[in-house]
Amino acid sequence: MTAALAVQGLRADYGRTIVIHDLELIVEPGQTAVVIGPNGHGKTTLLRAISGLVKPSAGRVTLDGREVSGLNAEAIARRGVVHILQGDGLFPEMTVEENLEMGAFLRMSWRARRDALARVYNQLPVVHEKRAQKARTLSGGERRLVGIGRGMMRPARVLLVDEPSLGLAPVAIAAVYDAIRALRADSDGAIILVEENFSHIEQVADVVHVLEAGAIVRSGSYQELSEDRTVRETYLGLLEESV
Amino acid sequence: MTDVVAIIVNGLVYGSIYGLVAIGMTLIYGTLRILDMSQGSMVMIGGYAGWWALSTHGFNPLVALLVAFVLTFVAGTLTELVSVQPLIGRAKSGDFEMVTFITTFAVGIVLANLALQHFGALQQNVPPIVGGVLHVYRGVSITYHELTMAVISVLLMAGLGLVLARTRWGLAIRAVAQDLDASRSLGVPVTRLYPITMGFASALAGVGGVFLGALYFASPTAGDLPLLEALIVVVLGGLGSLSGTLYAAYLVGLMQAFCEVKIGTTWTFPILYAAIVVILVFRPYGLKGSPSEARL
Amino acid sequence: MSSLVASISFGRWIAIVLAVALVAAFPLFYENPYYMTVIVTGEIVLLLNISWNFILGMAGVWNFAQLAVYALGAYGSGWLMLHETWLPVPLAIVCGGLLAAGISLLLAFPTLRLFGIYTSLLTFSFAEVIQYAATNNPGGLTGGSFGFPAVGGLFPSYGQTSYLRAYYWVCAACCLGGCLAVAWLRRSHLGIALRSARDAPQYTAARGIDLRSARIAAFGLSGFLAGIAGGLYLAFEQSFTTDQMGLTPMSLDVTMLVIGGLGTVTGPIIGTAIVVAIQTWLISYPGWQLTVLGTILLVIVVFVPGGVVGLVVRIDSRIRLWVREDAEPEPSSSSGPP
Repeated sequence: MTAALAVQGLRADYGRTIVIHDLELIVEPGQTAVVIGPNGHGKTTLLRAISGLVKPSAGRVTLDGREVSGLNAEAIARRGVVHILQGDGLFPEMTVEENLEMGAFLRMSWRARRDALARVYNQLPVVHEKRAQKARTLSGGERRLVGIGRGMMRPARVLLVDEPSLGLAPVAIAAVYDAIRALRADSDGAIILVEENFSHIEQVADVVHVLEAGAIVRSGSYQELSEDRTVRETYLGLLEESV
Repeated sequence: MTDVVAIIVNGLVYGSIYGLVAIGMTLIYGTLRILDMSQGSMVMIGGYAGWWALSTHGFNPLVALLVAFVLTFVAGTLTELVSVQPLIGRAKSGDFEMVTFITTFAVGIVLANLALQHFGALQQNVPPIVGGVLHVYRGVSITYHELTMAVISVLLMAGLGLVLARTRWGLAIRAVAQDLDASRSLGVPVTRLYPITMGFASALAGVGGVFLGALYFASPTAGDLPLLEALIVVVLGGLGSLSGTLYAAYLVGLMQAFCEVKIGTTWTFPILYAAIVVILVFRPYGLKGSPSEARL
Repeated sequence: MSSLVASISFGRWIAIVLAVALVAAFPLFYENPYYMTVIVTGEIVLLLNISWNFILGMAGVWNFAQLAVYALGAYGSGWLMLHETWLPVPLAIVCGGLLAAGISLLLAFPTLRLFGIYTSLLTFSFAEVIQYAATNNPGGLTGGSFGFPAVGGLFPSYGQTSYLRAYYWVCAACCLGGCLAVAWLRRSHLGIALRSARDAPQYTAARGIDLRSARIAAFGLSGFLAGIAGGLYLAFEQSFTTDQMGLTPMSLDVTMLVIGGLGTVTGPIIGTAIVVAIQTWLISYPGWQLTVLGTILLVIVVFVPGGVVGLVVRIDSRIRLWVREDAEPEPSSSSGPP
């Protein structure tokens, strides 16, 4: 079957700094692919190149078989790509509810928007509680939840989630991953989740890709990778004693 | 007592003038984070539209307003495409503000000079939208034109405020002002939004220009004073805050009326500017006083 | 000073010395009085632009009061020339400069608390107040729009050619001095503080650099140079009217700065030269001057943001890169920020 998202030979740069070179990635429909890798190696840039915030300098990105690589971000969003940005990308001076409404900007019917809002409030009670507050008054964990809620406001063919646990305390991270699980159950689209933190992804990963120096170097199931020695050393900090 | 009434009435009229010319600039600053220095020229174009429609052809005032709206909408859109769009994403944010200040200013100069070439330097008479005078109190009067202007000004500001707060597009404009990347990834058509917003804001100034034409004549330099006035009101009101602009417009209007009645016109403007200096010393972020650049 | 000398390559020094020699020798061969007047006036504008470039371009402060400060320097030195005739005229001009510096310094304080654009409104309002006050001519101090009364100036008894030459050299020397001062300051602690404050204010403050003193010093220094320019103008033209201030001259000066390259040392020289040349060329088409200049300004800002100097620097570094790549093997591509 056609991949939900196919990335071929992707190259992306910021001026003279080449960040991604010759990256290949396939994500099947409904699959949750987790991309891990050290900081600075291109994870966020990968997502930005897919969602159009950064224009690839070479390569192709296709969504359900149709090419999207040259389009601008607005057009790609219209094709069903939902990008939950790193940090949170919330609108600081808007209330939580207004932020969620912006998540449904592309939904034309008022009723659909209202239903989506109700569903998000149902799934994320914290968000419902804080709905009238301005986004900038929320804590980091709460903002991250609102960001995820905003990503739930419209149907996604591909959902891009950028480092949801970044900078959060363990309790908040747990809540965020609960929300991601809810997201996964709620949506039948593919999900690409970027993380630096290896431990939490077990609950959500169908497949794990390791991104190093701008390219995917290893892929496999969570089980396979967690038994892989290099991965363990790099990400789990486990040093193998001589066996 | 006559003095007090005169101050209030004149203050109201001046305040509405300031509001009319400032409203477009506030919208643009709030959305695009640029100080659009071509707004004065839009007022000037509106004045000429008023003269053309009302004086040369004797059309209905609504025609004048429509022509002014369309002309300045187009002019504003083109200005954005030429002097702002190419710079987006290019410069650091502080530079972007200063550079677009200069580029929109350049556009304003070019427009004023083109008008000079085409129409000549002579001032043209623009008839009022509505004729007649209303006597308020012992010697203090207000023309119906000025009254209409005050009403329209308030309606425009309130209307814009409502659009921004309640409608989907108003929300989108505020979103773009607060986080560009997030807006784009949510599907907001930013490349279309910028020119349309600037066109719309310029059109507001153009409409204001039709009203102001009756008070200040149509001439190539008719935009200079409104530009200054808009700048004062927008910055004083707290950059990009719509409600701040409203307060600042009427505050400055009242100050001006007060100075004129009590001190006389020669020293009004210097005192006004001196007052601004004082205000800025004590309220560094304008009237709104809040350091988080609250946008729209 | 030594670091400035060291930073300029030998080849560049030769070029600079040659240029200065050419400029100095010029009036010995050229005598057309009309164009010489234009050139001298241009030099004075250049000095003003150098001063403005320092605070606007290098320090990044939205200071729009520069013309008012310039005018105050003119009025100050003029008053001294008229009423304190025992004071040698050069000293009167210097005093005018000091007066301008003082007032500019005063302006610095309120701007310390203001965020970017608000400074523009504060300084602009201040300039408007000065302009109105000058036009209203209280107590006959300024001469209003008719202009300041005629003063002897620096070379009261010279014939026309010598007069023009003398002012040419004096003004050129002042410009050179101003340029050198700015170039030196740019590399000094003050200059670095100002530039980093312009580019990254919070980081600069976090590094413990005293932004306040740096900014105050910048206002003072640029005010001094502007005041000198004002005094020179009055001495040369034998008059100073209020339309030396205001929106039109301000836009012209900004155009000169931007075309040359805002924030660069040589930018004002190139920008002033280009704009004055265009103005003179279009003198028979008065209406078109501003349209042409406005369009050029727009084009430059959009397509050549660093101005002419910026363009030259870019071309230069592009050429150097080619030369270097030919000499060395291609560096491997590096990974950068995500």
